[in-house]
Amino acid sequence: MEIGLILGAGQLAATLRLAAPLTFAALGGVISERSGVVNIALEGIMLMGAFFAVWGTAVTGNAWAGLLIGIAAGVVLTAVHAYAAIHLRSDQIVSGMALNILALGLTSFLNFQLYGFTGTPADLAGLPDVDLGPVRGIPYVGGVIDDQSVLVWLAVALVVGVHLVLFRTVAGMRLRAVGEHPRAADTLGIDVFKMRYAAVLASGVLAAIGGAYLSLEVSHSFTNNITSGRGFIGLAAMIFGNWTPVGAFIAALLFGFGDALTFSLQGTGVPVQLLGTLPYLLTILAVGGLLARTRPPAADGVPYETEGR
Amino acid sequence: MTDVTSGPEVAPPARSVRQLGYQWTAGPAMPLLSLAVALLIGAVFIAASGRDPLRAYVALVSGAVGGATVQLAAYNTSETIVGAVPLVFTAISVAVAFRTGLFNIGAEGQLLVGALSAGAVGAAFGGLPGPVLMPLTLGAAALAGAAYGAIPGALKAWRGAHEVITTIMLNYVAIFLMHWLLQNGPMTAPSAAGTPASAKIGDGAILPVLLPSDLVPLSRLHAGTLIAIAALVGFWALMWRTSLGYELRSVGFSPRAAAQAGIDPKLRTVLVMAIAGGVAGIGGAVQIQGVLYRVFDGFSPGYGFDAIAVALLGKSSPVGIALAALLFGAFGHGGALMQSEAQVSAHIVSVIEALVLFLVAAELVARIVAGRRKARA
Repeated sequence: MEIGLILGAGQLAATLRLAAPLTFAALGGVISERSGVVNIALEGIMLMGAFFAVWGTAVTGNAWAGLLIGIAAGVVLTAVHAYAAIHLRSDQIVSGMALNILALGLTSFLNFQLYGFTGTPADLAGLPDVDLGPVRGIPYVGGVIDDQSVLVWLAVALVVGVHLVLFRTVAGMRLRAVGEHPRAADTLGIDVFKMRYAAVLASGVLAAIGGAYLSLEVSHSFTNNITSGRGFIGLAAMIFGNWTPVGAFIAALLFGFGDALTFSLQGTGVPVQLLGTLPYLLTILAVGGLLARTRPPAADGVPYETEGR
Repeated sequence: MTDVTSGPEVAPPARSVRQLGYQWTAGPAMPLLSLAVALLIGAVFIAASGRDPLRAYVALVSGAVGGATVQLAAYNTSETIVGAVPLVFTAISVAVAFRTGLFNIGAEGQLLVGALSAGAVGAAFGGLPGPVLMPLTLGAAALAGAAYGAIPGALKAWRGAHEVITTIMLNYVAIFLMHWLLQNGPMTAPSAAGTPASAKIGDGAILPVLLPSDLVPLSRLHAGTLIAIAALVGFWALMWRTSLGYELRSVGFSPRAAAQAGIDPKLRTVLVMAIAGGVAGIGGAVQIQGVLYRVFDGFSPGYGFDAIAVALLGKSSPVGIALAALLFGAFGHGGALMQSEAQVSAHIVSVIEALVLFLVAAELVARIVAGRRKARA
């Protein structure tokens, strides 16, 4: 096995490309769960983003407009989860699973009704790649980061952005307080419900972008179940990254690297399918405390009820 | 996901999960109402896509249980039952965990390892006579599923790892394991054209078709149906007629009270997850031995995921599960005819199923109604 195959510029560029959708989903998970709402509907939200971004792009002829439509569709689904989880205090796992099934059914249904057996339009407009100009000339580095989709850079920027907001702003501190000890936060005058709605909806925006990236930027089309579990890998990256944006990004890169490896090792006799189990096995070890200690927010998944209601 | 590292003590399950067992004490009105609302929303989607919802639903029902001739109706009904059988097993798997206060999202993975074990054993020892091979294959599947279920149980009991996360992850581990085994692994059959698959299992492992073909031509209604019924009875007897079932349910009601009464919640957690995994594993074996005769890559359309909806809709009771599984079986088989007759994608069925799950389990209708009443009072 050649080292170039594993650590070559092409391999690392692919790692970035494959880590981007996981990063969007994982960041969404971090924001939602830091506020105390478990969002396992990430997978379904990504699917909504993926389908409606393609549909929107086909209808408007503009990929940016398509992206916005994809985000809007993802947010609609997320709002249902937020309403059920926060307002109705429903079981968040059940609500999330139901919405995942709903999104898979709905996008597959619409795909058939709108595009039949021919599939989504082939001449779909895409988002621009970022041309880094002189950086292209730098050996190796240029090969890794030049000509990446604008959404890849958005993912990287959001890692920094979410980190700064969560840990360096008052709003971020309040959001974390709501997820750790909502009663105390409420006592201090923080609106727990508003905070959680904002966080869950933000997670929907992020996951939808991740889905739109898959359809608009990677496969240039929508196929049923295009996400094929990436929302759950995003969830795994969030856990593996110990509910922090930077940790989640590192985990997403690790999982993306493994994913890229399965492509470059295809046909070499290596059982690449077994590589696919790595994100999941690592996450199981992590939540079992067998690899590193992870700690979710204290009030994660616990509905909040104001006193005296 | 509150108790990932809560230490040696098994944290109490979320309040809402335990309540799911009670929510039907009000009667069958809510599931039926939820089903009606889901069908109504589905009709809106169908109408919005320019098709006739009434025609679609008529095709759905006639595809599931009807037909121009008695024979065709009998065939369609038997196919509906064939579709319900794997869901019965996976739904029992989910329900037995529910009753103990655990959320088993891993029925899909447990079903897959069961199917793979049955497929491997059934092919490797294909020459053995039925009375030997049949229990061997089913037993291998039950053991594999039980072991696969016991992993998240043990991680929960001794490491505090939330079973929702570990079972979701183990589903995907099983899916990739299946890809490897069937695409270029030790189980890959050389002749597998199209869908990768394992070698055909021996005749002794095949569950016979129950209806004679001159009565109902092409019927696939197999003896696994009887195993499913036995599993439902076994589930009822275990939970409501044995002391173990009593202990499991008391852990589900209140782990702390159960511990006070001398019931070790940790061992029960591992045990119940092993039982859940074993039942789902048998479900996978039955699908291979009764319908497919070899393991096809990706053969499960999500039996383990639909199981969550079936278990919740059937309020985790044996009769409820049977009815809900039949309903989902009818949706699955009728959906195909709906697509060809009314040009409505069969995927609308998943939308309706998800809506039922959401309305029922998220208690949306109930909670909105309750909220209104509360506000008015």
